[in-house]
Amino acid sequence: MNELLLGLADDELVIGWRDSEWTGIAPMLEEDVAFSSIAQNEIGHARAVYELLAADADALAFDRSPTEYRCAPLVQLHLLEWARTIARRWLYEVADEIRIAALMAEVPVAAKINREETYHRMHAEMWHERLRDEPRFRSAVTELWPYALGVVLPEQRGELAARVGIDEVDAVERGTLDPSFRALHEEMTMVRRSAPAGARW
Amino acid sequence: MAAVEIPQDEQAFLEYVQAGGQVETTDWMPDDYRAKLIKFIEMHGNSELMGVLPEREWILRAPTLQRKLALTAKVQDEVGHAQLIYRVVEDLGKPRERCLADLVDGKAKFHNVFHYPTKTWGDVGVIAWLVDAAAIISQKALLKCSYAPYARIMKKICWEESFHILHGRDVILAMVTGTREQFELVQEALDRWWGPLMQFHGNPIPREEDPMFIWRIKSQGNEEARQQFLEGYVPQIRELGLTVPDPNLRRTDEGVWKYTEPDWNELKHVVTGHGPRTEERLAFRRRFLDQERWVRDAVLAA
Repeated sequence: MNELLLGLADDELVIGWRDSEWTGIAPMLEEDVAFSSIAQNEIGHARAVYELLAADADALAFDRSPTEYRCAPLVQLHLLEWARTIARRWLYEVADEIRIAALMAEVPVAAKINREETYHRMHAEMWHERLRDEPRFRSAVTELWPYALGVVLPEQRGELAARVGIDEVDAVERGTLDPSFRALHEEMTMVRRSAPAGARW
Repeated sequence: MAAVEIPQDEQAFLEYVQAGGQVETTDWMPDDYRAKLIKFIEMHGNSELMGVLPEREWILRAPTLQRKLALTAKVQDEVGHAQLIYRVVEDLGKPRERCLADLVDGKAKFHNVFHYPTKTWGDVGVIAWLVDAAAIISQKALLKCSYAPYARIMKKICWEESFHILHGRDVILAMVTGTREQFELVQEALDRWWGPLMQFHGNPIPREEDPMFIWRIKSQGNEEARQQFLEGYVPQIRELGLTVPDPNLRRTDEGVWKYTEPDWNELKHVVTGHGPRTEERLAFRRRFLDQERWVRDAVLAA
């Protein structure tokens, strides 16, 4: 169970970071605000789950080596293009809903997270509706589909395929490090590493 | 609200706003007044938007989850302010798309402080604390703006900005009470930002000669704003054990702050688009404006 929760927290943390990369440069100001808001929720969810797993949520979030993170490769990808960003958001939200629903019975915080995710799902679904016929969006969905399957457990993949409407393929599994993740990790820990462990920030 | 008769000639209009009168979007207003409003408010919107860029790269580098959340929220507020402010400009006759295009084309201005690099996490603290403190002093002087729609949104903006200052002060406080290196990061950042901060409120032109004051777009002069900043923040800076990098800074017995003359040439050079990060930041926005044009086209076509 802890392994599953750590995967969930790492997914939320890293997608929160990736979403905040649109800060200041989203295609419209409304989306800039929306992405900041979604990123805050995701980071907040990560924190809530890290707090279940460790006394020091920051230490767990930041002080591991890149190979110790359990996030799915989908969230690690560096995608500063709107079509691929929205394809990831949409696929992630569908996968996340399936994964969270399975956790809700045993983990109370999952139900709380699920409530906030409702708005992210509406946002993702709205963009999916808008872009579904755009060739670049469709090719982004195809490209990211094996990664999306890696977000959920093998037994949940049939449901994900049915919801998304694409046949199941070989998943890009958790534990695979995307080449961009080391650079992300390096940058996200640089300030923290500049002072001895235990320093207050 | 009782209907107020807005004078329909320029001199009477001027007297009306100077007596504290306010106007609404649909009221008659002199062309010069409208042009000044657009210029002033557009620059404010641009500044909120460009103010996001010095901080954005530090969202990723924020050293704790709480700092990351606070910084993301702050930046989100700023984009939200830009959105509100551009709507006011739009009502005055200049569409948002044109404001954004003029901005990336280098035809429009934004505040001097957003043209500089953000070198360390110390800068992030100094920006959130002192740059926002300087900004809120200017913004509070807009709460009585003669253009009522702008005055109204300033209430919300000032309220949110006051949280940014608290966040900034907290970042600074954690660092000055931390390790020697953390303290040094703050002092170095203060040394870097002091010049731009002293230039921030503009040259000490008498308020009676400042068109923005004459039209009562703002309700205080540049030097009054700077004095208020020094009076409010120099004691706080010193209380934290930091040194203000100006050997001539002192408060007279009459309560007036004396300081080394800020570099007005630098201010002019920077705000006309020649700051150390101006071109890079505009190019960054331009790149994504161009790259994602298809998204706006797709949404508008729907």
